Amino acid sequence: MKQMTMIAALSLALGGVALPLQAAAAEGGSIASKVEQLGEMTYLTFTDMRAVHRDGLLRVQVTLFNTSASNEQLFYRFRWLDADGFSVWEEEPWKPETIYGKQSKVLNVTSPTLKAVDFRIEVQSPSNSTSGHQHPASSADNPPYR
Amino acid sequence: MKFIASTTTRLLFPVMLAASLAACQTTSSPLVDGDSGVSYGDAKAVETVTTDLGSTDIQMTSEKMTQSLLQHPLVREIIRKRQLVVASPVQNKTSEYFDTALISDTILVQLQKNGIRYVVAGDEMQNQVDELRRQNQSGLYNQAKTAKIGNMQGAKYRIDGSVSSIKKRNANVKDVYYKINLRLIEIESGIVEWSDEKEIRKTARR
Repeated sequence: MKQMTMIAALSLALGGVALPLQAAAAEGGSIASKVEQLGEMTYLTFTDMRAVHRDGLLRVQVTLFNTSASNEQLFYRFRWLDADGFSVWEEEPWKPETIYGKQSKVLNVTSPTLKAVDFRIEVQSPSNSTSGHQHPASSADNPPYR
Repeated sequence: MKFIASTTTRLLFPVMLAASLAACQTTSSPLVDGDSGVSYGDAKAVETVTTDLGSTDIQMTSEKMTQSLLQHPLVREIIRKRQLVVASPVQNKTSEYFDTALISDTILVQLQKNGIRYVVAGDEMQNQVDELRRQNQSGLYNQAKTAKIGNMQGAKYRIDGSVSSIKKRNANVKDVYYKINLRLIEIESGIVEWSDEKEIRKTARR
């Protein structure tokens, strides 16, 4: 969670009303509440996250920063949810992304369904550490690639 | 009192031992593998077995194209007016073999989940014609209830596209660049109403 202590705004704008929220906040709209890490990211940090509901689709922009000088591999996918937290789309494929040393990478994604009003981003990096409590199914030893 | 405690211990020991042994046992899985070594993997995992076009490339491309199509105002109109779409075969311009229908079929499925209706075409058309002929010409069916010939609906728009690649290699590295291009075309006018492309680079050390 230390990667998320950086103050960054998550603007969750639903129905045209922007709700700027802080990354460190415990509310449901903070960056931490939207991110599910498999292990803990060692070098990659979320510096910004924005979401807006426009034309019936949820558009999400996520900015990640690679604190390392070396290239880092990121695997990610989104989970699209309705207002009650139910998944409204099939399980997405994991997507690979290379982030160069000290690079800020912006991921722009639009929901694949008109039913999505909320999301979670699932992330994994081969450099993830596994110290501390984590979900039993999550491990840096089992990255989402073959 | 000492006797009671001793008796209790003697009686409880086998029970505790049995309980602890039971806790160590593993349960059998509902699996018949015959020591084949075959296992099921994650169909959504990133596949990097070779530089050839693979499942992850198809999945990422389909996902990006669906998202891009849904953002286009015309596609929203197609959904609202319940207009029909058909998928033409995606051209494979690369030197490797793969079934390009994997891309168009996945996109059609994802679009249909958002309300787009599409009509059968290509290989599926023969099955459609066969069934209509069977119902109308075999003499086996009640003609008052059969699906009539001549009522099929034509699509207003079609999706087509192509997959191209550039391959480079030296003694150490093999690099493949793929470009997958898709278009939405109004059939009557031939106007390309939407197009998008997905670029993929795959590199392997030899």
